[in-house]
Amino acid sequence: MIEVKRLVKIFAVALFSLILLVGCQSEKTSEKADKTKETEEKSSEPLKFSISMRTLAFTHVENSPNINEDEYVKVLEKLTNTDLDIRLMPHNEYSTKMDLMFASGDIPDVVQTSAGYGEGSGQTLQQAVEAGVFLPLDDLIEKHGPNLKKYIPKAAWEKQRYKDGKIYSIPEFLSNPSRRATYIRKDLLDKAGLEVPKTVEDTLNVLRKFKEMGVAQPFGGRADFKYADTFFGAYDVFPYSSMWELDKDGKPVPKFFDSKNMEAALKTYKTMYDEGLLHKEFLTIDSKQYKNEAITGNIGMWSMNANELLQWEQQLKENVPEAEIAVVPSPVGPDGKGGYYLYGDVTRAYAINKETENPERIIKFFDWMLSEEAAKYFTFGIEGRDYSMENGKMNYKTPQSVDEVNIERYRTAFLWMVQDTTYIKGLLEMTPEGQELIEVYDTILAKEGRDGINFDPPLTALDTLPDLQLGSDTPPKLLMGHMAKMITGAEPISDWPKVVEEWKERGGNKILEEAADRYKKKEFTESRRK
Amino acid sequence: MKSTVVQQNLSTEQNITIKEKSRIRQTLSILNKYKTLYFISIPGILYFLIFKYVPLMGSVIAFKDYNIFAGIWDSAWVGLKHFQTLFENPDSIRVLKNTLLLSFYDILIFPAPLILALLLNELRLVLYKRFIQTIVYMPHFLSWVIISGLFIGILSPTTGIVNKFIEWLGHESIYFMGSEDFIRPILVLTYLWQSVGWGTIIYLAALAGVNPELYEAAKVDGANRLQQILNVTLPAILPTFSILFLLHIGHFLDFGFERVYVFLNPLNQANGDILDTYIYEVGLRNAQYSFTTAIGLFKSVVGLVLLVLANFVSKRVSGNSLY
Repeated sequence: MIEVKRLVKIFAVALFSLILLVGCQSEKTSEKADKTKETEEKSSEPLKFSISMRTLAFTHVENSPNINEDEYVKVLEKLTNTDLDIRLMPHNEYSTKMDLMFASGDIPDVVQTSAGYGEGSGQTLQQAVEAGVFLPLDDLIEKHGPNLKKYIPKAAWEKQRYKDGKIYSIPEFLSNPSRRATYIRKDLLDKAGLEVPKTVEDTLNVLRKFKEMGVAQPFGGRADFKYADTFFGAYDVFPYSSMWELDKDGKPVPKFFDSKNMEAALKTYKTMYDEGLLHKEFLTIDSKQYKNEAITGNIGMWSMNANELLQWEQQLKENVPEAEIAVVPSPVGPDGKGGYYLYGDVTRAYAINKETENPERIIKFFDWMLSEEAAKYFTFGIEGRDYSMENGKMNYKTPQSVDEVNIERYRTAFLWMVQDTTYIKGLLEMTPEGQELIEVYDTILAKEGRDGINFDPPLTALDTLPDLQLGSDTPPKLLMGHMAKMITGAEPISDWPKVVEEWKERGGNKILEEAADRYKKKEFTESRRK
Repeated sequence: MKSTVVQQNLSTEQNITIKEKSRIRQTLSILNKYKTLYFISIPGILYFLIFKYVPLMGSVIAFKDYNIFAGIWDSAWVGLKHFQTLFENPDSIRVLKNTLLLSFYDILIFPAPLILALLLNELRLVLYKRFIQTIVYMPHFLSWVIISGLFIGILSPTTGIVNKFIEWLGHESIYFMGSEDFIRPILVLTYLWQSVGWGTIIYLAALAGVNPELYEAAKVDGANRLQQILNVTLPAILPTFSILFLLHIGHFLDFGFERVYVFLNPLNQANGDILDTYIYEVGLRNAQYSFTTAIGLFKSVVGLVLLVLANFVSKRVSGNSLY
């Protein structure tokens, strides 16, 4: 008993002193902050500002205890004479967190948004612009952003223009809108003695051969067809928000209205399902499971963003040393085309809070992002840590471990806030694999992908009907349910026109009206192959 | 004349003030007498004011087009527009039906902890009883995210143990999570699995309070085990059961967003969507705050009607009631 009492006492004292210690420490840091503030005003004064950033589900960012203490952030601050206060937004709850941020009124100096005033940020962002939360940037960019003006394409700027004709954010851009690609296990293909498949039929034959060879999942399936929508692309029937087309009367309709092609696409998936070329549970496989299956060598053919190629290949080789991944042209449908939905011109954008004190310097900060110094820093990292100089020649240490790969990715894709995100040229040019990937982008991806009409900001008629909404890369839930039943054989595929009718009747008609109206007013954007 | 009138007036006024003063004094003395009690009640009253009554005012946004930048007061009034959208929306009927059905099934499984408690009570070996109790409590401490992961695994058509068994019996495996026919049973049974053990605690406590002499007397009269349960144990535990039941009715439509959301996918949600998950999709995902507040109010009204009905029936049938 006495022992226990003593233990409790010791524990209590320890806890108490810990609390005291923590208290003192926070006081100390706040003192420090005060001091830096003083010196700021006196001498070169690093610009202090806060910025909200989406984590993009990057491991290094999400696992970092405090991103503001990160080595690379510190160097970035030194290079730009700033003092950043990065506020992370969890990737999966991004839109919820954005709404909460606006509702609480605690808005950082710079707010990172997704492309334009549309998707992901939704209505709230529009309301924020209308309520005058953000600063119109036209004049500031004219005066302080020579690089921004020079390098960011006009289309990307246009997307940042609100209805009132002013620009409200600085975009990070994508010069090649075709980003997703078809991956294949080249080693398996060679072993099978087959050519790279071109049409849907060729592809099915390759998959059948893979099946014979004992590949667990010849084609990688994933919930909601996310990154498994290859054959909807071949038949040009993506049921997504950016995939509208004109019908024969010249009115905008979603592409899934095209029953003939949709049925053909569904038949392809059904064949694959029936023959075991597609995982029986493809409807409930999440992103982590999907990647796991791929890098443990269970999948023969799948779809992923092309810029993930080197990373996935490296991880796959740890499990299957002889494995080799190649990006191949996506299977083409009856019109001889294929590929995935094209991304918008803008990947992320930065809006500036009206109440910030020094917007000119924030503009200069983003302008620096497109300078040569920035390109060198973000591409190659810190001297002595990521590269060394020998006789004026740069020696970059290519990341080996998973951690190192994650850090490189964080530096080049997260922290480099404004750039052409198509690929990091500097890094790819150094290795033969990288040069091959550049080839892939310039020869394969530049030619494929599906054009479409996109309404941005999104159509609002379906705001109260979540089941009917077209996602950016997921079909409406209503369609998803029917597609699943058709593929598994519970419903005849020939019933697709009925599904379209159901979508229309349950509220789709309203959105068709809104789309026609917006199209007439020219309030839409188009994604086009470059 | 004039002066007397004034005087009279004065005197009555004085009278009133004196009476008032004495009344105030009386109240003050009562307050003084029970000051500790009043003092103790302050935090409770504040709690209800701040966390229960003030937020109620937020409900006005159901009648406005709420804009978070304009704030509650400056948003424009729209009357019953959002309620109209709600009733015109075919989804809302489906979602309401799902909510009511699931609540109803929850009531069907409500006696399960009672039955389990009776069974546990009949176990004579104390060590064995404790062991079983610990095991049945355990799921209560798991979060729904973990439970869903567990069950999706168990029910998987390729790797799940349930389907392995079905295949062993010579039938084809069933994709439980991929069909809207199974979602409601899955939701109810997982809830049963998670909560049944924990629910037995109160019943076991009530059972411990039963006078052992009653059992002795029953035994002397020649009652067997089953007769003892029916004639001694059950009547002793019934009042506890009916109060718990009424408390459960009080939360009739609030059976948890998380519990349902973690099991939903596009294939089963036609039968699985409930008001809470619908509110989440529309309100938080699409920022339709006013519309979802309208749904919330509607849900409260439905809940209120059901509660009043259940209370009335219970009063008539068993004599027990909440108010």
